[in-house]
Amino acid sequence: MNELIKKLTEAYGPAGFEDQVRDLIQPEVAPYADEIKVDALGNLIVHKKGDGSGLKVMIAAHMDEIGVMVTHITKEGYVRFTNIGGVYPRTLHGNRVRFADGTIGIISTEPLADRNKVNSLDKHFIDVGATSSEDCPVKVGDAAGFWREFAVLGSRLVAKSMDDRIGCVVAIEALKRLKETPHDVYFVFSVQEEVGTRGAQTAANALNPDVGIALDVTLTGDTPEARPMAVSLGKGTAIKVKDTGMIAHAGLVKLMRQRAEEAGIPYQMEVLEGGTTDARPMQIANAGCAAGCISIPCRYVHSQSEMVDGNDVENSVRLLVEILSKPIAL
Amino acid sequence: MDTFEILKKLTETPGPSGNEGGIAHVIAELWQPYVDSVTVDRVGSLIAVRNGQGKAPRQRLLLAAHMDEIGLMVRQIVSHNGYGFLRVTNVGGVDIRQIYAQQVVVHGRQELPGVLGCLPPSMLPEEKQNKPYDYEDLVVDVGLPAEEVEKLVSVGDFVSFRQPLHQLLGKRVAGKSLDNRASVTAVTLCLHYLAQRTHTWDIIAVATAQEETRLLGAYTSAFSQRPDAAVAIDVTFGKGPGVNDANAFELGGGPTIDWGPNVHPGMYRALKEAADAIELPVHTATHSRYSGTDAFGLQIAREGIPTGLVGIPLRYMHTMVETADLTDIERTGRLLAEFITRLDDKFLESLAAGMMEEK
Repeated sequence: MNELIKKLTEAYGPAGFEDQVRDLIQPEVAPYADEIKVDALGNLIVHKKGDGSGLKVMIAAHMDEIGVMVTHITKEGYVRFTNIGGVYPRTLHGNRVRFADGTIGIISTEPLADRNKVNSLDKHFIDVGATSSEDCPVKVGDAAGFWREFAVLGSRLVAKSMDDRIGCVVAIEALKRLKETPHDVYFVFSVQEEVGTRGAQTAANALNPDVGIALDVTLTGDTPEARPMAVSLGKGTAIKVKDTGMIAHAGLVKLMRQRAEEAGIPYQMEVLEGGTTDARPMQIANAGCAAGCISIPCRYVHSQSEMVDGNDVENSVRLLVEILSKPIAL
Repeated sequence: MDTFEILKKLTETPGPSGNEGGIAHVIAELWQPYVDSVTVDRVGSLIAVRNGQGKAPRQRLLLAAHMDEIGLMVRQIVSHNGYGFLRVTNVGGVDIRQIYAQQVVVHGRQELPGVLGCLPPSMLPEEKQNKPYDYEDLVVDVGLPAEEVEKLVSVGDFVSFRQPLHQLLGKRVAGKSLDNRASVTAVTLCLHYLAQRTHTWDIIAVATAQEETRLLGAYTSAFSQRPDAAVAIDVTFGKGPGVNDANAFELGGGPTIDWGPNVHPGMYRALKEAADAIELPVHTATHSRYSGTDAFGLQIAREGIPTGLVGIPLRYMHTMVETADLTDIERTGRLLAEFITRLDDKFLESLAAGMMEEK
């Protein structure tokens, strides 16, 4: 699985510019799909048919990542930019971004009298090696994602955009392992989650599922002086009960737990106090659906080095397969 | 019908947002005698339909009163000297200043009574002594050893507040979750009144789920039912010491009929005419954009739904001593019933025509 994780996390795909990621996922899923389509917003929708006895289930993992967009290029060739999604200024200085064509840029910042403080986003700039606005290889409106190589540290895996390529990997792996299912399952590799869970919203409107399950990263409480949270890296997949955007369907939460216990899959119950996932728009689409989320615990979310544990990833895949291969009674 | 007894049963039944199964069951029993069908939908809203006496196909009015209440959720189990304590987080708009020293029920593998405790101020660090507690300081104490707690409770379990409904002298009542069980009571009374009268439209009474967190039941039930018109019923701010602005209303002075972009002007006028016809006192509440109620979701479902909003004045909103006047709840029920009996097959045309008139 690490090879696939490396391939997807190193791909370029800021929100709104997901095509390179989609092109990598498509050949992975094609042999296992009954039907594949790309909708108007760019969601990749992969249908695996059921035997007709089950429900319509939508699985959502978002392809997009946070990034930056060029707003202005100075005479000297420096690039000013704005954020795409939740970019924290403290993660920027000295880091690198990569544009769609592979152009690499270095982020730096205006001098600050107090070195312990962090400049706001608008006081940062990107240096792409240009000497003037004329020879600058990027233009206003170009988007870039962070650039950092995938690394394996024992069972821990580190990369930019684990949020949410790891969710995409869980979806792809589950699809590969899912031999038979009673359910009509739609794996949606969604766009624009980081700018307001927008892709999953239109996909849910179109598919009108009975059950919606998002696959996304969640925070942990296991780093020094972290905000208390009962989720740790390596202690299992996380079953979401609540985040700041939605409260999961109580019956679906119960079913997820039951499936994990039956199959002996390590799991943690998750109450997230910052952020939300594609489960939020799925829950309220049309007449609503039973929505929930299988989360992959992740440290340092929205930095260039997001860390997950390979065992948690494996357990997330196992739980999803357990849920999809058996009847769902809510 | 004894308004106090209905309200007591409703407010004392737990139903935090996302966990409305118990309260839905109680409401279903209350509404059953007056309706032709009762179902619970995919997000947990209770949907009851009372057929009108008009010729089919009949036009349909949706009444939305949310049944969920604010509450808490377990986010961590900590142990101290062998005893288990629960750290919690809010479900909906909980004011941290109002919850210390309250009684709660933890909905674990079984229901556990508990209290919200904290170190006494004198034992807190100096910088915290004169400030409200925050969630890091508060714990739910269920009085059990840690290993028992671990067996019975897990992260993600709901915690609801526990408070009996008090009848104050006169017609005032105080308790928890009058927001919005006061409105559920008003809809119950409305259905009771309708059973003795004639109405041509079908009535879809919806006790919506998860209003306090995201108006979930309003959006989804309006989509699934696709009504011709809708009225949301919710509490509004009651006047009291220090609360005297134009958008706060006297307890016992009658319900509000709301006005602003979140409501259809024709629905406002029709509700007002119904109130005038039975000499029922009402006041106009205004919202320049978001009403903070189910009306916000109802209005934009599908192709758009003409939506009205009725409010019941309430003091101390989102506390365990929310105070309302039984008279206002009863008047709200009567107002809705009167409005409904006046609906005819020309009503939608008159709404449309009203929008074209020169003002």
